[in-house]
Amino acid sequence: MKYAKYILLLAVVLVLIPQGGLTQKNPTPPFKVKVDFNRWHDTNELYADMKRLAAAFPKFVKVGSIGTTVTGRDIMLVTVNNPDTGSEMSKAAFYIESNIHGNEIQGGEICLYTVWYLMENYGRLEPITRLVNERVFYIVPTINPDGRQYFFDGAGGNTRSGHVPVDDDNDGLFDEDPPEDINGDGVVAQIRKYLPGQGTHKVSALDSRLLEPVGLGEKGDYLLLGSEGIDNDHDGRINEDDKGGYDGNRNYPSDWQPPYVQNGAMDYPTQLPEARAEVEFLASHPNVAGLQAYHNNGGMILRGPGAEATGEYPAADVRAYDEIGRNGERILPFYRYIIIWSGLYTVHGGTIDYSNDALGIMSFSNELWNGSQYFTSAELMEQQKDPNNPIAQGTKARFFFDDKLEFSAQFLEWKPFKHPEYGDVEIGGSWSRFTSRVPPVFMLEELCHRNMAFTLYQADEMPKIEIGETSVDKLDGGVFRVFVDIANPKVTPTILAKAAQNNVVRPDLLTFEGRAAEIISASWIDNKVLYKARPSVTGFIDQKDLKRILLRNGFAGKTARTIMYLVKGSGEVTVKYDSVKGGTASKTIKLQ
Amino acid sequence: MRRKILAGATAAVFAGLAFFGLGATAEAQDLTKYHNYAELSAMLQTLANVHKTLVKRESLGKTLEKRDIWMLQIAAPGGVPAAERPGVLVAANFEGDHVYGSELALFIADYLVKNYASNASVKQRLDAYIYYVVPRVNPDGAESMWAPVKWARRTNARPFDDDNDGRIDEDGPDDLNKDGVITVMRVKTPGGDYIIDPEEPRLMRRADPKKGEKGEYALFWEGIDNDGDGFINEDGPGGVNINRNFMHEYPFYKPEAGRYMVSEPETRAMLEFMVKHRNVAAILTFGENDNLVAAPTAAGTPAAARGIDLETFAGASIAGANKTGMFTAAASFAFGRGGRGSGGEMMISEEMLQAIMAAGGGPFMMGGGGGGQRGQQAAQQPAGARAQMPGRTAATTYNASDVDYFRTISAKYIELTGIRQTLLNTKPEGAFFSYGYFQFGVPSFSTPGWGLAEAQRGAGMPGMGAMGAGGGQGQMAQMAAGQRGGGGGATGQRAAGSGFAFGGAAAAAGSPDVQGIDRQLLQWMDKEKVDGFAAWTKVKHPELGEVEVGGFKPYAFINPPPAKIAELGKSHAEFALYLPTLFPVVKIAKLEAAAQGGGLYRVKAEIENAGFLPTALTHAVTARSVKPAVVQLQVAPESIISGNQKTNFIQALIGSGGRMKFDWLIKAKGGDTLELKAVSEKGGSDKRAVVLK
Repeated sequence: MKYAKYILLLAVVLVLIPQGGLTQKNPTPPFKVKVDFNRWHDTNELYADMKRLAAAFPKFVKVGSIGTTVTGRDIMLVTVNNPDTGSEMSKAAFYIESNIHGNEIQGGEICLYTVWYLMENYGRLEPITRLVNERVFYIVPTINPDGRQYFFDGAGGNTRSGHVPVDDDNDGLFDEDPPEDINGDGVVAQIRKYLPGQGTHKVSALDSRLLEPVGLGEKGDYLLLGSEGIDNDHDGRINEDDKGGYDGNRNYPSDWQPPYVQNGAMDYPTQLPEARAEVEFLASHPNVAGLQAYHNNGGMILRGPGAEATGEYPAADVRAYDEIGRNGERILPFYRYIIIWSGLYTVHGGTIDYSNDALGIMSFSNELWNGSQYFTSAELMEQQKDPNNPIAQGTKARFFFDDKLEFSAQFLEWKPFKHPEYGDVEIGGSWSRFTSRVPPVFMLEELCHRNMAFTLYQADEMPKIEIGETSVDKLDGGVFRVFVDIANPKVTPTILAKAAQNNVVRPDLLTFEGRAAEIISASWIDNKVLYKARPSVTGFIDQKDLKRILLRNGFAGKTARTIMYLVKGSGEVTVKYDSVKGGTASKTIKLQ
Repeated sequence: MRRKILAGATAAVFAGLAFFGLGATAEAQDLTKYHNYAELSAMLQTLANVHKTLVKRESLGKTLEKRDIWMLQIAAPGGVPAAERPGVLVAANFEGDHVYGSELALFIADYLVKNYASNASVKQRLDAYIYYVVPRVNPDGAESMWAPVKWARRTNARPFDDDNDGRIDEDGPDDLNKDGVITVMRVKTPGGDYIIDPEEPRLMRRADPKKGEKGEYALFWEGIDNDGDGFINEDGPGGVNINRNFMHEYPFYKPEAGRYMVSEPETRAMLEFMVKHRNVAAILTFGENDNLVAAPTAAGTPAAARGIDLETFAGASIAGANKTGMFTAAASFAFGRGGRGSGGEMMISEEMLQAIMAAGGGPFMMGGGGGGQRGQQAAQQPAGARAQMPGRTAATTYNASDVDYFRTISAKYIELTGIRQTLLNTKPEGAFFSYGYFQFGVPSFSTPGWGLAEAQRGAGMPGMGAMGAGGGQGQMAQMAAGQRGGGGGATGQRAAGSGFAFGGAAAAAGSPDVQGIDRQLLQWMDKEKVDGFAAWTKVKHPELGEVEVGGFKPYAFINPPPAKIAELGKSHAEFALYLPTLFPVVKIAKLEAAAQGGGLYRVKAEIENAGFLPTALTHAVTARSVKPAVVQLQVAPESIISGNQKTNFIQALIGSGGRMKFDWLIKAKGGDTLELKAVSEKGGSDKRAVVLK
């Protein structure tokens, strides 16, 4: 028995020898930085790991702050850029934001995973190396660090909000009556009192840990006394004014609506330091061409618009979104590609309305994790339909999973407690915060990887301008016809149609330089081969300055076209295509 | 040209600094002139220095050019702490060229401070209320009034690529006839859109082909095409008009609105102030909107917008500038074709070509843009999802139950000032005073602060219908614009060999649904002997050849002669004194306690609003923007047996003596003192105690 291990090892070695000899390396070499992807990181831990990654990969990874919250916490940004392949602004950038709702934590881990994965696999996997060389990544693992920390430290109050004080109950006092974890078990749970035969609730037949209301004529043994907490401000109400009290993802300045139309919007857009920091960062980084805002939960790949009244995106944009969204569904099983207003609910003033409409950034928001992911095989899903099955859909399935796979980590049993007002009671009967909306930690790494893979796919499909073949036809009298092929092989157009309508992205510029050359006219042709075989009348590009042609709606995705100049002169000319989000490409051509 | 304007502004700042040094303690304040930033700052400082007990000068924030947005806080010491008193906010100069408003605000502040000792009503107001006066919200923009070359600049100093061509502020105005003001140019152009108004040859109007009129002129702003893009003055210095940067009916992506809501430091400074000063119970602003002389209709609709046709016409000449280079068409077919290889052959099938041709000719079409782009939705849409959260929309008309208050106040304003008709009235889009009512929830007003003593009536613009320069003109401008801008022909932007655009979508500077007031304005200037119209003079234009330059002078049509400051200042100060008399006044009108035996007491109270306005307007209740009044019995919550709660909320209590009754049964001891507290955000607070017997 003692030698079994060695025999197995020998067998493995023997199997490997014929294929690669002893030079075969472990395909998963030891990692340079060890980061845990099977546990949760509070804000401080998240920031500490970001800094460790920056220290381990100093050339590529920088950590900085884009703003400060009301409690003085930094909103940290990780930038991944290879300085050898150009400055940040010269490359299309992908922006990832997460955790604007403090309780929606798992996006933070995906962000960490993304930085870690890009760096560990740079130089090892060709597509990753290329992506890091061609693109820039701006990553904010938690845009709401106060809310995130409160989710971990607090006992379970309003962790969705940030911590700008709001007078929820209109009494002139701010955040004065939060919930309390009176028995100190880290969770604001239910309180019940055992009153045999006089209660309103009884122990459920489904599971002894559950209470259910008694039926007509029945007698119960328990009285439910509400959730844990005290009346801090002595106004006769308990837990009515917790920290904050708004929705950070309704405070962005596109389609912002006042609170009576959009709950949680606050008094004006960018009033919250979190929203303001992000709005100003994005506004000053026009190179950002793709965006992901991680939320939870439900398994969705969301795109805007957030409200019906805003109107559907232009058809050209919809096509590009659809291409990426549908491939996203293939990368992310159990996720559906959905429009916010029609598939989820109406959102005014959300992050991705701002980034798409006001900045022309193709933006998705993933609702991470889906309850269907507990029992994923077709067979188990079939079993779940049977109410008598131990994993029947609903409560039974939840308890089965918690008991057998998480070893009862998530359900809080009832425990006796001596309450100052109610006397002998029991507190418990609740699920922890680290379940339901977030995956069990042992499934966290897969969630991180698949969602990262989707963002890397989108990042790779950000626009990229390339200049292809050039040719010159000599005509009479020192006049030349110059053909330059230009392509954007990626799915995303250099300027979204919506951005062109709103005039929010600088137009692409097609410039022409030649010391001894003047342009007589310029035209686009769609197919050079066809044109050369059968010339047709082309339309003028009707702009006054043909040496600097504006392309207000940019260059479509997966498209190649040819610009044809009619030029008089001699010598060399340089044609350059300059796009804010699609990069720059140029070629010099000799007139001969 | 741009450099010259900036240099001028700098010089003015230095001149002002010198003035500042001298004026800091002197009491003499000249209220009969327009003041630049340095002079204004010094005057505000003087008021604060001389009247230390009444006035505090604070900066609400800094502009992009580092000027302070000054706020005077005016209240007498003693009594209720100033921050808890209901207040009036007076704010002006959101639009940089409306400097007259600054002077009115300054006059009001000066009046309040100097008459505190002698005038009983001023004393009463400053003892019981608080005034916040922000005379110049947009000091960077206002400073252009003292530039050597003046143009109607409403915007702040934010560098802004108005035509989005990748060059910022590169094509500003140029003073071709060297008269120190930027007006408009008319150019004889066969096929032009305009003719000289036969009844008033100083003015232009649109030729009506249906009446056999033949257009002879094109109109432009005065200037040259600095950047050679075919448009004149399409991207001047700045910026953002602060009164187009607030949230209510924000004009997304429209001229002078900024990149997004609240993008400007001036806007943010005002909103930060408002959020911290919930005690503001009425707002009076001076600017280019009017809801005081022309109150909202019974249905709550604001008055129609009015503007200057000459400006609208000139503005239309640059409307196409931010559409140059909008290509449409082939993209829809190209998608999915091609591949990663870019240098190789680009294959296009015959079917694709057929499809492109069938879809409307050549693969690239100019102009238009945005047409036919509402596509099918391919993302999944689970049925019934829309019902999860039915769409609500923000109110855009005044709540019918609030209109009477507005009309009462409007009548008083007209009575005090004698203004029966304003000239300009910009469409409020993103304006501060609209925020004040629709989002902050208080009576909120805007007025240009001057106007005509007699209302003129008629179709379209009152008094203008028969004269032909009214609403119809605007509509025609819009129609023609549509034809030119959306036609899609290759000639859409250049015409008649001039190389310059004219016509174009009139969506830019002047909105086409704005009624022209040119005739009326000119009559007023003639009558008041205002030097506000530059006669047409011939100038040799480097690109257009012979042109004539003339038209309404900037500032002159927004700001009346300085004599009007003092003349109308006093009545506006009286109006500012009138506003607090309307405020709600929350009182505990009755509090009694009767022993019921067994340590039980029945406590009854009545809360009264002794003021005129309700504690919250109806829209403020809808918008949840004014806190409900709180009525709280100061006892331990568990001592209340039945009746009302310890803490109660009144959404709104109507004025003129409206009452609400409360009733508690409590457990207490004889001899205890029972206290009741009533707190209203806009109506003050009251406390009363009763001893239990």
